[in-house]
Amino acid sequence: MRSSAAPATPLAQRVRGLEMPWNRVLSSTAGPAGAATALGPWHPQEFTAECVETIPEAGGMMVFVFRRMDGAPLAFRSGQYINIDFPIDGPNAEPASRSYSISSAPTEPWTFSITIKCDEKGRVSPWAHENIRPGTTLDMLGPVGAFHLADYDRRARFLLLAAGAGITPLMSMIRTVHALPGQADVVLLYHGSAPDSFAFSEELDFLAKADFRIKVIYCLGDRECGEEWTGRTGRLSQELLEELVPDANGRQVFACGPEGYLNSATELLRSVGVDDTSVFMEFFSGDREIRAEYAEEVAIAGEIAEEIAATTEEYFESQPAALDLYEPEYDADGPIEAVGAPTEAVDAEAVVPVEDEVEIEVVGVTDENLAEAGPGSASNAGSTGSAGSRTAASATGSSDDDETEVVDPAALPTVGEGEHTMSFVRTGLNVCVGEDETVLQAARKAGVKIPANCQEGMCGSCKIVKLDGDVEMNHLGGIRAREIDAGKFLPCCSTAKTDLVIDA
Amino acid sequence: MRLDTRRAGFSLEAPFYTDPNLFNLDMQAIFGQHWVFACSVAEIPEPGDYVTLDYGPYSLIVLHNDDGGVNVLHNVCRHRGARVLTDPQGTTGNLVCGYHSWTYSPEGDLIHASAPGEMTFDKSCYALKRAHGKIAAGLVFICLAEEPPTDFHETAKIFEPYIGPHELGKTKVAYQQNIVEEGNWKLVMENNRECYHCDGHPELACSLFPTWGLTDETIPPHLEDVWERNQQAQASLEYRCRRYGLPYEVVEELDTRVGGIRISRESLDGAGESFSADGRRLSKKLLGDLPDFRLGRCSMHLQPNSWFHLLGDHVITFGAYPINAHQTLVRTTWLVADDAVEGVDYDLETLTHTWKQTNLQDKAFVELCQQGAASPFYEQGPYMKSEYQVEAFINWYVTRMREHIG
Repeated sequence: MRSSAAPATPLAQRVRGLEMPWNRVLSSTAGPAGAATALGPWHPQEFTAECVETIPEAGGMMVFVFRRMDGAPLAFRSGQYINIDFPIDGPNAEPASRSYSISSAPTEPWTFSITIKCDEKGRVSPWAHENIRPGTTLDMLGPVGAFHLADYDRRARFLLLAAGAGITPLMSMIRTVHALPGQADVVLLYHGSAPDSFAFSEELDFLAKADFRIKVIYCLGDRECGEEWTGRTGRLSQELLEELVPDANGRQVFACGPEGYLNSATELLRSVGVDDTSVFMEFFSGDREIRAEYAEEVAIAGEIAEEIAATTEEYFESQPAALDLYEPEYDADGPIEAVGAPTEAVDAEAVVPVEDEVEIEVVGVTDENLAEAGPGSASNAGSTGSAGSRTAASATGSSDDDETEVVDPAALPTVGEGEHTMSFVRTGLNVCVGEDETVLQAARKAGVKIPANCQEGMCGSCKIVKLDGDVEMNHLGGIRAREIDAGKFLPCCSTAKTDLVIDA
Repeated sequence: MRLDTRRAGFSLEAPFYTDPNLFNLDMQAIFGQHWVFACSVAEIPEPGDYVTLDYGPYSLIVLHNDDGGVNVLHNVCRHRGARVLTDPQGTTGNLVCGYHSWTYSPEGDLIHASAPGEMTFDKSCYALKRAHGKIAAGLVFICLAEEPPTDFHETAKIFEPYIGPHELGKTKVAYQQNIVEEGNWKLVMENNRECYHCDGHPELACSLFPTWGLTDETIPPHLEDVWERNQQAQASLEYRCRRYGLPYEVVEELDTRVGGIRISRESLDGAGESFSADGRRLSKKLLGDLPDFRLGRCSMHLQPNSWFHLLGDHVITFGAYPINAHQTLVRTTWLVADDAVEGVDYDLETLTHTWKQTNLQDKAFVELCQQGAASPFYEQGPYMKSEYQVEAFINWYVTRMREHIG
């Protein structure tokens, strides 16, 4: 290596934080359908998968690469596991059910891999090593598990603690970080029992070299090691952490390994000041009987999967809460405007699946909701941009799809002459409007009361909410872009381009 | 003029705290001439967002403009003098006076006044009066003088490296508290500039070392243990700061420049992260790109009306807005990372507990002093060594007043 003579490469420019690809997938489709459904990681599914490859790994492990028989990609979050039925006693007997972390990255969803360490005393893992070959099909359920990376993380600063086979979910995380653009800072501290026991070490070495965001530290614990060992030694300790990861305090810690290792890690992390709320742990179940909480999770996942399988369409339409739950946290109070360097341009808009919400919120729109969308959304727009726009968006949807529940414009009396009809749903009047006439002029002529002062689009005093249709507005600063986005307009300086439904 | 004969090291004579005429002079000489703190950008995050602020007789609109800066406008309609905007905060396109709907552009130009028959009315003569506004490291300052003091950009250069990493532009207001203290604005500031009284702040004492303002020489015996702990925590903090390239050194120019400032990064007790009972973080989301929660508190004192605490997990801004000789609005604003979610990443009650309590205690102290200043038997008292910042504040104030009177 001539690392000292390496050419000076400019520092990589990256977007702020780490964003999982399904955020974009969802926002790019209308409703959680098609590819978005397949790539959305939050609906556990029952499926059959076929082994396509087996790769021996160090530490007595074997990587089994699978693909779904139905051809769909497998959506999951890095760190989650799947539950697999192993037909150990033949196809007609009750299979042995076990959970294994997925070691591949969700950014390559068409195949996925699990990595199984062979425990000679175990019942399932030797069978798996012996019997699963390309072509073997297994029934699976997943994804399951709360141990995973967030969908969006502005501060993707992680400390990954792995011991032995605990590397598998963390391997998925590292591969995911490497596959995604975005600022991140990952330190993997990987404890093994012998120099040749570190699974994935060749790939990890490569990733650490190729990706400046990733740092990998191997550690042998306090066992004897040969002279050729160049990694660290010593059990996980406060000194080791202080030395290797002095800023652990500001990181999110994901740890996976045997129980004893994790118990001591818990104490150590506290002692170096890592807050409990920043620590996520997965007890690596390996080949032991499924732990109680796993069994419970798997059972719930199974129920959900059955529900989805029964009625896919209806299921998604009836799950607004579930979708909401998995929106990135940061848009709970409205999207964050990206400011600063262009490289920080996290496109908050793209992450908000507004379209989904329209479909969902439409279901229960009533006159009352609609009334709220009028004056209410004005204040919403002031404090949280998206809240207002969502309310208005749902109202828009309502007039399209559910108008009988609101006001049926067709049932209103109609006055005036002109190409387009404006339905004033509060006044209860349809007003025809000509193309050269402003909305305000026509409304006033028909007796619809809209307060207005300057009538030149400056003062904003006539601002009202448009529930449907298009206008052409030539305002002079009396309305803000985000108010327009929220469905408002100034009737004094607007002409109708289509039929309109107006909340006035 | 008693300004000429001020007894250094002693509190001011009573009229400075009680006399309406002196208050008017304060408004002209201090708030009418100098850069004063208005708000943080988190309070006006988007173009069109505004706050209205009163400083004594002055009323200002601070509006986030489309260029990312601020427009500062006197909130006095050029028609009949009505307040143009009456809400403490909001969002607007043009500014419309509620009285006769005179409409001003965000720059303050009068763009509409319905005037039937007024053929000769010249709108260009009636723009809202403007003042100076400046954003530095996410903090908004205003100056009402025609020619603002020029050294403020040097003050900003001092504090920007300290405050910049907390990225106030990527924070949001978690909570804002407005307290009207029955006290002269100078008593509010004096109280803030010392910790001699900090025994009276049990909640704050959990994380803030009560040795603040003391030195090896002035440490009383009962605080020796704390002093030792403080020294160790400070050494550890400085080590971390050096590692992350964060400035921590004390810069103290409270009365040696017009834009008086003190700034430093100092350790906190306990876990050293935030103003909590055990010193641990109060919000799970780090601010900006900070690498570590254990960064103590970056504290800034600015003359004449503000102070700030910047932690790894949140920021608290404090502004004193004089109302009259014996009343002051003290506004405290808690800022958290803009992606922090209430109830998930922070609990609002816990986040605000320490300073809510401390503010109430301080309000009581200030009001005790105001009552004393009104007594015929009030006499100037001496500031102690640990109250050197109070002396610096008063010295800054007296110097500015003398300059103004000329």
